[in-house]
Formats: sequence, C-alpha cells, structure tokens
Amino acid sequence: MLVVIDGQMTERKGREKMSVQDIYDAVVAFDIEKVVALVKVEVEKGTNVSDILSDGLIGAMDEVGQRYTEGEFFVPEMLMAAKAMKAGLEVLKPLLSQGESTKKGTIIIGTVKGDLHDIGKNLVSMMMEGAGFEVIDLGVDVDTEKFLATAKERNADIICMSALLTTTMPFMEVTVKAIREQGLNLKTMVGGAPVSEDFATKIGADGWSPDAPGAVETARRLTAK
Amino acid sequence: MEFTKLFTQTQVERVHEASLGILENVGMLVRNEKALIIFAKNGCQVDMETKMVKFPREVVEKARQTFVPTYTFTAQDPKFDVTMPGNRPIVVTGSSAPNVIDPKTGEERRATSQDIANIAYLINELPGFDVFSISTLADDAPEGQFSMSRFYPALKNCKKPVRSNTPNMEDLKIVLELGALIAGSEEAYRKRPFINHHYCPVVSPLTFDVESTEAVIYLTEQGLPVYGTIVPNAGMTSPLSLMGTLTLGNAEFLGLATLMQMIRPGAPLIYAVLSTVADMRTGAYAPGAIETGMMQMAHTEMARFYNVPSGGYIGLTNAHSNDAQSGYETGMNTTGALLAGADLFNMGGLLGSLMAFDFGKAVIDNEIALMLKRMKKGYEYSEENLCLDLIAKIGPGGSYMDTDHTMKNMRSIAVLPKIATREMRRRWEDQGKPDAYSRAMKEANKILSKPNKSRFTEELDAKVRGHFSGLVAGDVDWSL
Repeated sequence: MLVVIDGQMTERKGREKMSVQDIYDAVVAFDIEKVVALVKVEVEKGTNVSDILSDGLIGAMDEVGQRYTEGEFFVPEMLMAAKAMKAGLEVLKPLLSQGESTKKGTIIIGTVKGDLHDIGKNLVSMMMEGAGFEVIDLGVDVDTEKFLATAKERNADIICMSALLTTTMPFMEVTVKAIREQGLNLKTMVGGAPVSEDFATKIGADGWSPDAPGAVETARRLTAK
Repeated sequence: MEFTKLFTQTQVERVHEASLGILENVGMLVRNEKALIIFAKNGCQVDMETKMVKFPREVVEKARQTFVPTYTFTAQDPKFDVTMPGNRPIVVTGSSAPNVIDPKTGEERRATSQDIANIAYLINELPGFDVFSISTLADDAPEGQFSMSRFYPALKNCKKPVRSNTPNMEDLKIVLELGALIAGSEEAYRKRPFINHHYCPVVSPLTFDVESTEAVIYLTEQGLPVYGTIVPNAGMTSPLSLMGTLTLGNAEFLGLATLMQMIRPGAPLIYAVLSTVADMRTGAYAPGAIETGMMQMAHTEMARFYNVPSGGYIGLTNAHSNDAQSGYETGMNTTGALLAGADLFNMGGLLGSLMAFDFGKAVIDNEIALMLKRMKKGYEYSEENLCLDLIAKIGPGGSYMDTDHTMKNMRSIAVLPKIATREMRRRWEDQGKPDAYSRAMKEANKILSKPNKSRFTEELDAKVRGHFSGLVAGDVDWSL
C-alpha cells in the first residue's frame, strides 16, 4: 500500500518550501525517480541545499521512522523510503560544502567470522540507513582485521557485529579487544539472537540491543555529541 | 489414514518442475570446496571462481532414482530404535537453544551441561518423545569441549536416539570417538550408530555453507546417519508467497539431496524443513505462526511425491511462557502437519522461537505428542470395531459402563492426560487453581526426583572419563 501525504501548505510557506515538501512527500511515498527528479529541479532553481536535505530528505525519514514506530509502516516500506532518500542524497552530495554533515555517523556492520546468517544484520543495516547513518555493510563472515581496516579507512564511529550462532560469538570479543589494544576511538555494538546484554557487558561492548529498532536507538545514543 | 492434500497431482508436478528449473537456471552458491568438486564430478556446471553451481535436470532426476523411503534413528537401547515412516509420528525435542528457563526462579539464563543432563533424563522418561535432540548449549563447557559438554551428559542420561549438530569437523570427530567408546569399538558403533547428526547446510536463498556442508559430506561418506533441515524465511530469504517459498525450499531440498546421493547413492534422507513467513511489521522471526504449519503441510506433500520421510521443526512457539499462545501455536501447527502426513516433529520444550528450553513446556509437549500419536493411530477400522453385537445387546437405554468390552478398552482407547484437567471447578479451586504449567512442573519434579536407571554404568562412565580428561560432571542434579 502506498501512503501519500497530502501536502497541505500553510500561507507562510512559500513556493520553495512547497517544492521541498514535494520531495518530502515523494520520499514518504517511496518514489525514487520522483525524488531524484524533484531534487534536481530544486538544485537548478537554486534552492538552499541544506533546506532540501534537512526539510526534504531527512525530515521525511523522521516521518517514516515515526510511522514505523506506530506500526503503520512495515519494514519493506521503511527500506524503500530509505532507498528514495539515498537516491536524492546522491544528487546533493557534490554540492554539499566541506564539513556539512549529511549523516549522523558512520557505521561499519557485518556478521562475525564463521557466521553466514545475515537477516538480522541486514535489518539493522537498513534501519540505520533509514535513520540517517552512513552504513558500510561488510556482509558476512567478517574477520577482525577487516572490521578494523575498514573502520580506520572510513573514519567510522561504530562497529556493529552480528552473530546467530553461539559458536561464532567469541569473535565479537576478539574484535572488541583489538580496538582497545590499538587504542582506537571507536564504539562497538553487538547483537543477534543468542547475544545477551550480559554477554555484551562481559566482552566490553559499548552497545547492545535485543532487536533492530533498539539498535538504532543505541547507535543514536552512542554517537550523540 | 488418508492424508490432507493441498494440491492436485498436476500442481505437485509443477512445483517439482519449477524447482528443477531453479536449480538448472539460477543455480546454487556453494561455499564448500569439497561440495564444488563433487558437483563438478557428477555432471553439474561448476564455476570454481564464483562458486556457482548449476544442476542440469537429468542430474537431479538421476539422484532422485536412488532416494530411499525410510530413515532409521538408532538408539543406545535397541528398544528405542525407530524407523520412519511408521504408524506414529516421531517426536523430537527442539534443539540447541542457548538458554534455559531456570526451574527454580523462572528466569531465563544461559543453559549448562547440568541442565542437559536433567533434560536428557526427563526426555528419556517421557513416553511421547522418541528422539532426544540436545535441547541446549552448555555455557559451562571447558575450553575445547563445546560439543563434548553437550553429547556426554546427553548420552550418559538418555538411552533414546540422541541427535544434534557440531560446529566443526574437529568437534564432530571427537563426538564420534565418544560414540565408539560407548559402543565398545568403532565397528560396533558403525553397526548401531546411536548419535544422529543434523545440520542446516543450506542457508537460504540457494547457498551451501562451509562447515555444516563439510560435516554432511563426511558423515554421508562414512555411511553414518545425517540429515539436513531447509529453512527459508518468506519475505527475508525467500519470496513472500507460500507458493514461492515452497518452490524455493523444495529446490533447496533437492540440491542437498542431490549432493548426498552423489556421495552415496541410497543414503537415507529426511525432507526436513522449517519454512517460515517473517512478520513484515518488524522483520521478526515467526516459527510459531500458522503459516509454518501450512508450509510444513505443503513440503510434506512434496516429500510424499518423492517418497521420502518428511517433517521438520514443527510446533515451535514464539511465546515466552507456557501461556495460551505457546499451546495454540504448538497445537495447531503440529495438528496440521500430522493431518498432512508428516513423520518427524522437532517440537518439544522450547520457548521464545528456539531461544530457551523450559521443563514445563517439555512436559506439556509430551502430552501434545501423545495426542498426535493418538490421532495418527486413528480409527482402526474393522467389522469388530463397529461393535454391532454389543450395540444390539445393550439396546436403547442401557449402559456400556460395566461391559467386558469397556473394561478391555478403557486404558487404551483414549489419551489419559496427566497435565490437562478434567475435574470440576471446585476441586480445582481446592488445589489452589493450578494451571497447566504448574501441573507440568510438578510432573517434571516427580520424574527428576527419582534416580536415573538409564544412566551409564559406573564402569562405562569410568572408561569414558578416563579416555577424555576434564569432562563436565554430566549427572542429573535436580531440586525445585
């Protein structure tokens, strides 16, 4: 089901606002092509880029997140909205000034070494993107070296590790230890069906959540400046 | 007993054809090197670079020719040997949960080898269960003894067939060493292999993993009992339609079965599944959903087409306590599967979608198992059972209460539950209004408070403990 917001405008919103609202509406309606086209039009018109970003793209994702929390949007709808948002963001990227933040933080995510089960990890990855994080998804069977190398290269804020098998959980501890030993300024989050809060505390991870929406909340908390 | 059919013969054949098409045109990603070589040697198109394997239909059809219709679970005690299909469903505990609901506190905690010993003894004594699939992991396992800390307490305290998995080849070989030691020799063990290995070598969609596939190849080569469960999750790892997930899962079963038949034609198979539909509101895993039962019914119909035993993880629940949800999810899904003709039910003892073992749940599931077996036993149609002479003799207005016929049948015709209540309300109130869970825990306590007569002899235990150093105690230790 497509849910399209009726873009009711108030008097004080000018033409520009109205067009940014169209972008917002297109994101909430998961219309990737329309988002891209509308963002291009606004850029050509000379609309303030950060307005397009915050009032259009990111604002829409806040609405999507709200609707998800209320049970109106299902996971695939959130995924499609995030895709639409990202498509619009790609158009804006070259125009953003240095230091202008498009993201809430950078996250490296993957299932740990030996574990190919990635449903939960994919869900977290997608919801993090939806919440405005830049997510670098390393896929499955990721070893400590790869986590750390990517985190350094991308100047990441958090490494998120997922495991479904209890036999692969120990690799989480290996990575957390390596970060401590190298003195890296990086937070770690762990999750997956068998991963408990006690386990997370025991291995010294900074964050844990029993489910994907909670992981987003935890990441927000860990990156709050 | 005639089984429920969901499809026409044409539809069943179409699902088979479509599955062959998937294997032939889409193919499978095979991460295990040995499997790639086996597939290449036996006529599949294998790209060693991308690890993609395509199965020409005649290769799969050739494998089908050597499918066998039965699968036997062998036990330490031969009286517990059981072969599928038979006149009863084979009921197995759910397995490998990381947690247990502590029987004293009711709180969830990590499970230990001592929990496994207690569970093994309980399952040995509960008549509804045929196979003990080691219900939990052992958090207290000493370094390097992950699998031994599970199999030793299980085999020590349960004489029924024991089933479980191992995380790697090293652990698998140690477990087989334990089996040979208990049997007396490797040769004796091979004659009666009472450890039944189970893996999920296929990660949906259409991917063979490394370690589990390695174990399946090894055990099949060795002629030891092994089977795999196929676990697509609609909306996540398979299409969000029951037909799409059935077809994908069926293709995955054929892929795995083909591998096993290539290694050893005639290797016994079980068409085992845990096909689920994800809850798309949140992405939650939903093995307790009614669609799991529907999927099992359809896969079982496909298994009948292939003439192989069928079943899977059926009767699981998402509930976190022994409440109405845990009962209706286990009850409805297993009933559907039974009516469709499923042979194997991995259903007992777990709460929270495979996350925690609960002693009360195991006892309740034992009772559900007995009910399922009653249904499968069915009506026993015969002229004698029509009871026409008796009906004539008693006539209108009489009573059947004091006839020889009733006396003869009164202990066998109906399931006589220990957990379900049939008393009047006042009696129940007088007992403090016990619910099914508290009655089940009372029954568990009754069983586990008695010494385990099926435990290893002291002599055997000394031999095992002498051979493997640093083993966990592995003994039943129970108090409420």
